[in-house]
Order: sequence, then C-alpha cells, then structure tokens
Amino acid sequence: MTSTTTELKVSAFLAYKFTAKGNRGTTLLTILIMALAFVNLMFTTSVFDGMGDATEKQVIDTLYSNIVIEPADEEVYIANPDSVVKKIINVPGVIGTSAQYVTGATIAYEEQSGAWSIRAVDPDDERTVSLVPDMMVEGEYLSKYDRGEIIIGTEIAGGHGGSLEHTSLGGVVVGDTLEVTFTNGVRREYRVKGIFDTNFIQANQLAYVTEKEMESVLGIHDMASQILVKTDTKGEEDRFLKQFVELGVHEDIKPWTVYAGIVATLTQSFDALNALTGAIGFFVAGITIFIVIYVSTVSKRRQMGILRAIGIKESIIIRSYVFQAVFYAVCGCIAGLVIMFAILVPYFIKHPMVFPMGNVTLLIEQKAAIMRSIGLIISAAIAGFLPSWRAVRETILDAIWGD
Amino acid sequence: MERDEQDTIIATRNLSRTYTMGKVQVQALNNVTLDIRRGEFAAIMGKSGSGKSTLLHQLGLLDTPTEGEITIDGVEISGLSESESTMFRLEKFGYVFQEYAILPEMTALENVYLPAMALGLSRDECVTKGMDALEKVGLVARADHRPKEMSGGEQQRVAIARALINEPKILFADEPTANLDSTSSKQILELFRELNRDIGQTILMVTHELEDADIVDRVIWLTDGAVVERAG
Ligand SMILES: Nc1ncnc2c1ncn2[C@@H]1O[C@H](COP(=O)(O)OP(=O)(O)O)[C@@H](O)[C@H]1O
Ligand SMILES: [Mg+2]
Repeated sequence: MTSTTTELKVSAFLAYKFTAKGNRGTTLLTILIMALAFVNLMFTTSVFDGMGDATEKQVIDTLYSNIVIEPADEEVYIANPDSVVKKIINVPGVIGTSAQYVTGATIAYEEQSGAWSIRAVDPDDERTVSLVPDMMVEGEYLSKYDRGEIIIGTEIAGGHGGSLEHTSLGGVVVGDTLEVTFTNGVRREYRVKGIFDTNFIQANQLAYVTEKEMESVLGIHDMASQILVKTDTKGEEDRFLKQFVELGVHEDIKPWTVYAGIVATLTQSFDALNALTGAIGFFVAGITIFIVIYVSTVSKRRQMGILRAIGIKESIIIRSYVFQAVFYAVCGCIAGLVIMFAILVPYFIKHPMVFPMGNVTLLIEQKAAIMRSIGLIISAAIAGFLPSWRAVRETILDAIWGD
Repeated sequence: MERDEQDTIIATRNLSRTYTMGKVQVQALNNVTLDIRRGEFAAIMGKSGSGKSTLLHQLGLLDTPTEGEITIDGVEISGLSESESTMFRLEKFGYVFQEYAILPEMTALENVYLPAMALGLSRDECVTKGMDALEKVGLVARADHRPKEMSGGEQQRVAIARALINEPKILFADEPTANLDSTSSKQILELFRELNRDIGQTILMVTHELEDADIVDRVIWLTDGAVVERAG
C-alpha cells in the first residue's frame, strides 16, 4: 500500500470515529446548521429562477409562443402569410401557427380611455399557439366569424385587482361597449365579449379582435404583422430558426427569448443581491464549521499531541479534521435539499408568491444546487483546515503538557 | 559488563538541554553521556525537576537537544528531518505517558491498532496484531469496550498495548503509574517486567517511586540534570 493511501485511510478512520462515535448532539446540530446555511444559499436563487421560469412560460404561453416570424426589413406586413405557414408547418416539432395583425389603438369607455395594442387573430389558429383562450375570467373567447366584438385583458378592463388599475378603463364588464380608435383613424364600437386574466401584466394589457374584423378596419387582405409558431420543445429555437431559413422563409425570424429581455434585466438587477446573500451564507457556514472544528482541536489537544508523539503524521491529523468538516457540509447539503424538496417547494406550490409575471414557485436548478454545494463544501474544507493546521503548529510537548 | 556497539541501542554524548524563558535560562539537562543496551529495563529516577522527563523527551525524539549527540539503533538522530523523525518514532518507539490519552471514540482494539494502520497494515493484520497486543496486557476480553467503560489501570494497559503494537525497539514510559492506585500500579510494573523478560523488550521508564528501583535492571539517577548512576 502506498503511503498516501495509508494516510488517507487513517485520516478517514479518525474522522469517521470522531463524527460517528463522538458527541451525537454536536454532529446533528452542526449538520442542521449546515442544512440551514444551504437552504439560505439556495432560497433566493430558487425564487429568482422560479421568477425566470414563470416569465418564460408566460411569454411563451400568453405573448409570443416559441418563435415569431416578422416582416422582412422595410416591410410593414408579411404578404400571403399562408404561403409562409405552408413552408414550415410540416417541420417535425412545429405544432401550431397563428398569423396575426398587431396595431395600436385608443380604447375608450365612458370617461376613461387609454392606448393599448390590439391583436387580430384567427381564433382556431390562435388556440394552437396561445393559452389565452383558456384564461377567460368573464364571457367567452372569440369565434372565427365574430364581428364587432372584442376581448380584453384585465389590465385594460380594470376592476380585477391588476397592478395598473389607475390606467385601466375602470371596471368594464362583458356586454359593455367600447369605442376603439385605430392608428389609421378608423373609429369603431365593440361589444366586450370576454375578459381574460393571464396573471401576467404584459399579456393582460392586450385586446383581441378577429382577423376578419381587422381586415375591414385596415382595408387590407391576406397579410400579417407577425406569425407565431409553437414548437413541442423549449430551448431548441435556434435549430428551428436555421431550418426555417433553409426552407426559404425570408422574413425576420426571432425566438421568444428576444421578447423576454425586459424580465431578464429585472432578474439581473437581483444578481448583486443574490451574490451578497450567497457570500454571507458561505461565510456563516464557514464560521460554524470553523468553531466546531476549533472546539474539537482544543478539547482533543492532548490526545492529538500523543498521537503525534507516537508517530501519526500531522498531515493525517489535519486531514481527519478536513474530512469531518467536509462530512458535515455534505450531510448539510443533503439535509438542505431534503428540506427544500420536502417542505419549501410543496409549501410554495400551495401558496405561490404573486409577482407581475404571475404566480412564482421555487425552482431548484440542478446547476445552482451543484455550484452551491461545491461552494459550501469548499468553505467547510477551508474552515476545517485552518484550526487543525494551527493546532499542529505547536510542539508535541506543548500539546501534551502545555496549558 | 562488556559493552560493544551491537549491544548498545541508545548512545548519547554530552547531551544538554537549556530552556530559555525570557532572560532566564534553565539548564534542564547537563552534559549527559549515557549508553542503553538492548534488552535493558532502565529506570530514570531523581527528584522532581531533576530533568527526568527532559531526558526521556530527548531520547524519544520529542524534543531537540541544545547540544550533544544521540545515536539510536545506529542512526545519528540530528540528521533526521521532521517527517523522518515521525516515521522513526512510529516504527521504532512505543510510548506510555502519565496521561493515557486513548481516544474515547474508539474501542480498546481500535486504539491499539491505530499505529499499525498508520504503518500501512491491512485491517485483518491490524486486528490480529491488536489482539496479540491486548493479550500481552491481559485485556482481550475488553477489546470492544470504549475507554469510558474501563478503569484507569485498564486504560493505561490499553495505552501500553498501543505502544507495543508495532513491536518497538524501545518502550518509553514517563511516570506511567503516577495516576493509578497501588494495585494497578503494581500490575503495570509487573507487566513491564514480564515484557522485558519474555520478549526482551528494551524499556526506559521515568519514575519517582523509590521502590520501583527494585524491579528494574538499572537506575539512572539524575540530579540537576546530570547523571549519577546507581546499580539496580
Ligand atoms: N518547556 C519548558 N520550559 C521551561 N522550563 C522547563 C520546560 N520543561 C521543563 N523545564 C524545566 O526543566 C527542569 C527539568 O524538568 P523535567 O524534565 O520536567 O523534570 P522532572 O521530569 O524530573 O520532574 C525543571 O526545572 C523544569 O522547570
Ligand atoms: Mg516529569
């Protein structure tokens, strides 16, 4: 056996005996503190990741689907959108498309008015790319041949506890008549057919009419402002983009991520906060381990002095303490994950946090968990090394007989 | 008594150890020249503060003399690096201290075989040798007991078994019975006597009990750090 494996074996043996056969209470308490430090490290990250995840879902489900095809540069509309759809609809993984007109409009109800975007859709197509049709809180969604009818989000309607109540129409209900002035000057009256609530502030500021209705307003036909494309996977948008170009789509093709930028910057501004709580978490965990190992080196000072006297190398003794520290940290990470998955995650699923991007639950990303576990283990190893290294600095005789 | 190189396991020449505490210098060991033969059971005796422990620490490589030479088993000690010295102690020395200081988290057997493990022996070899060592001190029945379940005398015997596990060339003991009652003390001394007689164990023991002189081969008497030999 090489001397290194021998040393590791003896270190591990000592560490095992000290933790397993030592004071149970100390061991359990240390692991508990490590677990709480780990939860502390993970919590903010999980909230931010949960926010990001909720946002992504919302952007895809209620705003832009997975891929957006826009008019080529300098064009206002995509001409003959059906021909574009035909090129891509058979690509494996594409499961829906919806060509839409998008225009600005002033919407007025009694004394209240405001400027919002109106989308015009074929309701049957829209159902293949958007979940908005399933999110009606009052009335119904559009049907293909509806004319003179509009559906609006709760932030436009008002009276649904939205964040933008002050700019809303102040409590429109189904059956009310809205006066809509389009950017081209056309003014029409619409009956409110339904009101939807996506829990997402941006999507709730949209209004929808049918494609046929909008074509009569704009006086054009067989055009589109954008085509939304739904794919069966998330995260492979670039592959689809390449394929669409190869299939001869000359329009501007963008993944949904381009539109999620606002929220990305929102969460980025939390990164500094996140880094700070992380640093504090590592520090607290490190100090805890340091104290535990320090106390152990003090209480075992004489015994360790005698072990050194009888020929046990200092490196073996230091390493046995580092192993203990790492053991505490590993158990702490595992216990922390158990606390997160068994208590916190289910709790927030039951009681989600309400944010402008919707209901947010904790999202434990594997990468974040691994990075923080490694960080915790490294800070524990350092915190275990320092007091034991210091302890073997003193001479053997001082360790055995010193005061 | 004839003395040749083969027979001598420890030889010191003009050994001195001076402690400096601030401006005060304490000469704990003064020009000690001494040979210990293989298989000898020697007692280091003297009044408290006469330098007994200091001498043992120099010979046991736990301290570095201020002046002089030590040769142990043919090796000139001052040439050893710190890690060589640690290895030397592990392979060739056994120690028994006044404080038995066995680890409370381990059983008697585990405490005993730890130095064998550090030497690279397999678990099976460790257990076999550990049980042999416990047998020598009469504690086979206590192998799986933790220290807190044992008396002081038994714990000290575990420490002796630990000192014997690597078949040391020299067994050092510094007042091994000072913390024990008279019955246990007697047992320990008899154990040393037997080890010396049966397996020829070289033993160097510090003691302040005058009657211990009767049991040993030789007494090295220290006065103010200097040797005054007496017959055993
Ligand atoms: N680490 C030390 N620092 C200073 N003086 C010491 C130290 N160790 C021992 N001495 C002194 O050296 C002398 C011999 O001590 P020691 O060898 O312990 O004596 P003994 O073991 O015979 O009682 C004493 O005067 C003691 O005070
Ligand atoms: Mg002494």
